[in-house]
Amino acid sequence: MHFLAPALLLGLIAAVLPWIIHRIGRRRARPIRFAAMELLLRAEREVSARRRLRDVALLLARTGLAMALPLAFARPFTEVRSDLPAVTTHSQSAVVVIDDSASMRRSLGREGTPFDVAKTRAREIVEHLSPDSEIALVLASEGSAAPIAELSGDRGRVAAALEAVTVSARRADFAAALRRATQMLSSSTRGDRLIYVITDLQAAGWEGVAPALLAAGPEVVVLDVSGGEPWTNRAVVGLGAEPAPEEGAQGIAVVAEIANFAAEPARGLGITLRLDGVEVARGFVDVPAGGRARKRFVHTVSGGARQAEVVIDHDGFVLDDRRACRVEASRGLRVLLVDGDPRTVRTEDEVFFLEAALRAGGSNFSVTTVLPDELANRELAAFGAVFMANVARPNATVAAAITRYVEGGGGLFISVGDRVDVDTWNQTLKAVLPQPLGLKRSAAAPPGARPEGETVDLRPAERLAPIDRRHPLLAAFPARGEGLASARFFQFLLLAPVPEAPGRRIVLRYENGAPALVDAEIGRGRVLLLTTSVDREWTDLPIRPGFLPLVQEAARYLAAAPSGDATATVTVGGKREIVLSADDRRVEVVKPSGESRWLSPAAHPGEPRARPAVLFDDTDEPGLYRVRAARADGTVDERPDAAFAVTLDTSESDPARLADDKRPDRASARGAGGPPPRRRLELWHALGAVAIALVLFESLLTLRFRRGRVKL
Amino acid sequence: MDGHPETKTKAGAPRPLALNPEDIARLGSMSVRARVIVEGAWAGMHQNPHAGASIEFSEHKEYAPGDDIRRIDWKAIGHVDRYYIKRFEDETEMRTFLLVDSSASMGYGRKGVTKLTYASYLAAALAYLLAQQGDPAGLMLFDEKTRQYLPPRTRGGHIRDLLVALEAAYPAGRTEPGRALAEIGEIADRRSLVVLFTDLLDAPADLADRLRQIRSRGNDVVLFHVLDPDEVELPFDDVTDFEGVEPEDARRLLVDPRDLAASFARESAALRERWRQICLEARVEYRFSTTAEPPAEVLRAFLFARQRTRR
Repeated sequence: MHFLAPALLLGLIAAVLPWIIHRIGRRRARPIRFAAMELLLRAEREVSARRRLRDVALLLARTGLAMALPLAFARPFTEVRSDLPAVTTHSQSAVVVIDDSASMRRSLGREGTPFDVAKTRAREIVEHLSPDSEIALVLASEGSAAPIAELSGDRGRVAAALEAVTVSARRADFAAALRRATQMLSSSTRGDRLIYVITDLQAAGWEGVAPALLAAGPEVVVLDVSGGEPWTNRAVVGLGAEPAPEEGAQGIAVVAEIANFAAEPARGLGITLRLDGVEVARGFVDVPAGGRARKRFVHTVSGGARQAEVVIDHDGFVLDDRRACRVEASRGLRVLLVDGDPRTVRTEDEVFFLEAALRAGGSNFSVTTVLPDELANRELAAFGAVFMANVARPNATVAAAITRYVEGGGGLFISVGDRVDVDTWNQTLKAVLPQPLGLKRSAAAPPGARPEGETVDLRPAERLAPIDRRHPLLAAFPARGEGLASARFFQFLLLAPVPEAPGRRIVLRYENGAPALVDAEIGRGRVLLLTTSVDREWTDLPIRPGFLPLVQEAARYLAAAPSGDATATVTVGGKREIVLSADDRRVEVVKPSGESRWLSPAAHPGEPRARPAVLFDDTDEPGLYRVRAARADGTVDERPDAAFAVTLDTSESDPARLADDKRPDRASARGAGGPPPRRRLELWHALGAVAIALVLFESLLTLRFRRGRVKL
Repeated sequence: MDGHPETKTKAGAPRPLALNPEDIARLGSMSVRARVIVEGAWAGMHQNPHAGASIEFSEHKEYAPGDDIRRIDWKAIGHVDRYYIKRFEDETEMRTFLLVDSSASMGYGRKGVTKLTYASYLAAALAYLLAQQGDPAGLMLFDEKTRQYLPPRTRGGHIRDLLVALEAAYPAGRTEPGRALAEIGEIADRRSLVVLFTDLLDAPADLADRLRQIRSRGNDVVLFHVLDPDEVELPFDDVTDFEGVEPEDARRLLVDPRDLAASFARESAALRERWRQICLEARVEYRFSTTAEPPAEVLRAFLFARQRTRR
């Protein structure tokens, strides 16, 4: 036992006072020679047992009281070995690491959540550390900022920061948190350096914790706030959409993947599909123990992006019982091909390779091919993209329809060839051409040069310059542009020079510097201009591996349709780039809770021609994030194409518990064999309570005794 | 009993000369004290003690076939549930033995007179009264042995010797009332009156047998049980170190008397009740008084009771 104020123990001398008073009282007793001693002794025998018991009790109570008071004032405490968050006697440097990952949001019943318990434990640590200790606060979730990033002796500041801490939906990353805590403590000169880790001990999040760090670093104390009971969980771990041809062009299938982390199978688990917040389907699914199951909902939707959400019956961890994604109606995947050079030999047809690329297995495109004369009769708005391949002379009607279509938000792909009348194009479709068309150019073979790669065609050819993968079209290609680099271009059109304009970029260039593929925003739409053909007349690109992804990405790009969930889904804590269209001045991101934030694009001095974009990183809330754009004309429009879903990291759904031998307080070299840290257990509160009880007991005994005398 | 020279009768009329023991102690000599007590006693009874009053006593024998049934004492039946024949022998000279316990325990008296003094007052008053009647009275002062014995006589000057002996009595030694009774039993013949003054504290177990024995010899026996008020209620307030008073009594008790008061009062009452029952069974007249009561009242009650018995 130790004392904070040992000098006050001198007060223990007072403990002998009751004995002294008792002895003095006996000495001062008046002697009387009494004749009726026999009667007196009989009376004494009758009451002696009770009287002695009372006297002893009174004497002990008074002595106890005289001892308890100075003992309590001396503030005694003892040191115990346990994982209780009480405190050592010495000042210490402590970093409190609080697990604020998603799993800490599950329900513990009456106790609230593990995070609630963790905050209480952290509060206890802060309150009980000796006054001259230094404390820092670190959160264990991935990418989170430390509330108190340096050791601080300001207890009020630490307490306020602790109160402000909220639980996140991110995954835990204890390796980073412990590294950070160790770094903080490395600057401390105090002997006692401890890291208090308050966690539910979920195995996920501890993967990267290096034993070497634990062995050499400060002492780690793990406080388990899991509630002690193993928990079971069911979660929606995957959600995607795919076309459902059986339901027609508007059919989509929303596929959810359900995981069961329990040892018992989940039978008849309720599952609900909501589109734009409205429940549209409900079903049941059986999930084997420790396994997964898929549930496919088929639905018909009108055009445009929709918000889909799947919800299963709730368990203790509600956060992963729902998952959201953006689904696209089939409008964006309908492609119209305008065949400007039809042939009876199918392989020689202008759009043969285009069709083949767009219809390739696994793609979701609905392809329609028409001749230029039929273009005027088509409702272009029903198509996400229109490919005009080697069209000779678009008439005024067609040109007007095309222009309307593009400016209204449509996507146009233009490829050229022998039939293209440059002058007509430059006149009638000037509004949609990124750059006016120029002269046809044939590649000249350098003297003595031998073509590389495939030698099917030995004509002189140009090749593409190294590609810039920052453009969305090329993001899926390897760094060196494999698949495109081998393509040879025998003939192509030069483009007339124009001043730089925002929204226009050269996507691909030939080695001689001439543009090969130009991207431009026209009105609300987009145009891609390929300065060569899409058949094998002017180039062998259609037979190169890069042709298929280039065409498919171009179709999606023009239709503003993402190629899959990956582009419209971000894991909690991740970042989402939102590309602004030509008319957009800034965008507003609306979170699932309704909270919104306006973002303006930053200037890029080094890349004047880059398309403006904003980076949104406030993705702590799982669910669907809407995007609205403020246009140049002052209007604010919904941008369903830019909406995205933020999903939970599925590792947080797994209730598997960290093995004991991997716990940092037991796995480290010190923790494995050494004793747990000493904690201070304060005793003066209990002593105060004992003193109060003794006062009450003494008073009660005395009162009862006096009452007894009155009755006698 | 409050120290005033006048006490109240049951009817509330003033009763002269019923002096408290403390007042009596201030009187000049034992003969004066005796006379004052006797006068006080008879004044309360509205009879003149000098006009032929006498202490008469009766003797009872158990009824046997042939006895005159008109002489059956019906009151005695009520007491002992047996038939007794009253016999009056007024013409016979009555010898009285006054036995006064002079042991050390009789010397206790915290506020008023000691028990020995009080007993001496009562004995002196009785001796004075008997002398007035011309009946011989003897005196025995005893502790564990007979300290002084004056045989019953009627000659002139005997009463003065007896009163002097009472005045000179002092408390000492252990108490042995049984032994004194045994001695008197040897001396007394039939129809003697034996009056014993004692506190009955630490009385030996054979005392009851002695009383029965002397009673069975035809003597009339009266037991005056005298206690100090402290020995009835234990009215002490402070922690007290009690010590035994008799020689070789090493008993001590350090105690807060308030703790024992109730229990002590019960024990004291039990002692009196026990001796009352013993005396009743042995046909011994039992009279209890504390040293705070006026001796004249005690004497009057005694005389009154004997008169009623005679009638």
